[in-house]
Amino acid sequence: MIYTSETIEQLIEEFAQLPSIGRKTAQRLAMHLLKMPREEVVKFAKAMVDVKDKVRYCSVCFNITESDPCSICSSQKRNRKTICVVEEPNDVIAVEKTHEFNGLYHVLGGALSPLDGIGPEDLKVKELLSRLNDDIDEIILALNPNVEGETTTLYLAKLLKPLSIKTTRIARGLPIGSDLEFADEATLTRALEGRVAL
Amino acid sequence: MKILNARLHNFRNHSETSFDFAARMNVLLGENGQGKTNALEALSFFCLTKSFYASADATVLMRDREFFEIDGMLESDNGKEFSLRVAYDNAQKSKKFTINNADAEKFSSVIGMFPVVVLSPENNKVTFGAPNDRRKFIDLVISQSSRAYMEDILEYRRVVRQRNTILTEAQGKECGALLTPWNEMLILRGARVIQKRNQFIREFTPYIADTYLRIVGEKETPKIEYAPSVPIEAETTVEEIQSRLAQKLARKYNDELRFRTSLAGPHRDEVLLSLNGMQLKHFASQGQHKTYLVALKVAEFFYLKERCNETPVFLLDDVFSELDENRSQKLLSLVESLGQTFITATGEKMFGGVHWNKQRRKFFIKDGAVVNEAMAA
Repeated sequence: MIYTSETIEQLIEEFAQLPSIGRKTAQRLAMHLLKMPREEVVKFAKAMVDVKDKVRYCSVCFNITESDPCSICSSQKRNRKTICVVEEPNDVIAVEKTHEFNGLYHVLGGALSPLDGIGPEDLKVKELLSRLNDDIDEIILALNPNVEGETTTLYLAKLLKPLSIKTTRIARGLPIGSDLEFADEATLTRALEGRVAL
Repeated sequence: MKILNARLHNFRNHSETSFDFAARMNVLLGENGQGKTNALEALSFFCLTKSFYASADATVLMRDREFFEIDGMLESDNGKEFSLRVAYDNAQKSKKFTINNADAEKFSSVIGMFPVVVLSPENNKVTFGAPNDRRKFIDLVISQSSRAYMEDILEYRRVVRQRNTILTEAQGKECGALLTPWNEMLILRGARVIQKRNQFIREFTPYIADTYLRIVGEKETPKIEYAPSVPIEAETTVEEIQSRLAQKLARKYNDELRFRTSLAGPHRDEVLLSLNGMQLKHFASQGQHKTYLVALKVAEFFYLKERCNETPVFLLDDVFSELDENRSQKLLSLVESLGQTFITATGEKMFGGVHWNKQRRKFFIKDGAVVNEAMAA
């Protein structure tokens, strides 16, 4: 496609690099920016640069933060005896939204996946082990219920076993508000496997 | 279940073709290369979300077109109607599957909803080909009848790919520590796959014996046997399979390093097909191979019908060319009695005794379009 402005073309190229944005959407976004007031655009651009300049990883839990250690790791109100291990910073947000967990987090930065070139060395596993001391009562593994997440769970469980710290994993199974009769077989099978004693 | 109608847009050589199908038999007639099989292929998208021939969606896209689209109405056995639409966009390399205007969030959730049995020359590999071709056959049958199995086999395949990556990259060097977590996963998923396949073969055996008798009508006894990568008996528990897999993995470790690929697990299973106690692939004639395949497929039909609580549609692509007159007629009257069938053929001779009516319709296909009989000639 030919534009009368090279600058616009450049901007479209940049937008099209972003995930889930195709060329058409990129074009729409670029045209929209053109129509926005200058100060709005500057604010937008600044927000993007700030994110790169100010946001970093917490040196304790590896969640994203602006102050190191992050607000969760430095909070005295949190239960410092429990660590919830997740794959990505997004997962911390998801668990936080529940307001049901008051412990600390540890962000691995992914899950084992040789196909994507991710081995144990690429995850913050050593860092997790170094955090463990007598004060820690429980480690909750909250990884994704796919092949990579499950394998990483198995890997961590094995690694943690000799330390004799209580290690749990989040339950998998039926979504709330769903009917048993409409649950698909695969989910139901996993839910049965993960059944708990009453 | 029945396919009531279908519309193909930019699909292979069909730029815009519509079909109103008959409830029982639909015969697609035409010369070679006119687009008969392409139409069957499009129907398989409704049931399998993909083609039974091509592995990549882009290959079924009409040349120089941006996207293809297939839509149609299906009716389940209990009379419920479903409007299905499959759309593929080549620029985004994205495919969308909608049922009654709602997106199917996972393609795997569609498999088994609208069961299908396909009999095409491609299937000849099931009796002639490598173990992999037979594994594919049973995997598709079990997957259509069990969502849990499909999830397990998809996950299992992923584990094997992950493991193979480690073994390839290790270039023959020690990598036991990296493999350990993947071994555990391979054992967990692999054991379930083996157990389910074992159970399936036992359940499937009577179906194949029965259909063989119906088609051949003579004393040829077929047998289908499971030869898993670890020895099992009928009553072996999953835990026991797990421990046998673990032992085998340990034994194979050095070989795996050397060959740089996974050597233990259900991806090395074999399914043995025999006739009168003799291995099919070593001795059977072309016609016997074909008959055996037809019997497998008809057995699949009855198996799926019972397991899915839904009558599968039967797609027969160019099946009659290799069978003798007698077996062809037997097969035709057999599939006629099953449910809705879609048959491609180059000539009408086979269908001499068929009364064309609302239940049985023939379509003449020429150059990617449905034409009337005079034009087809």
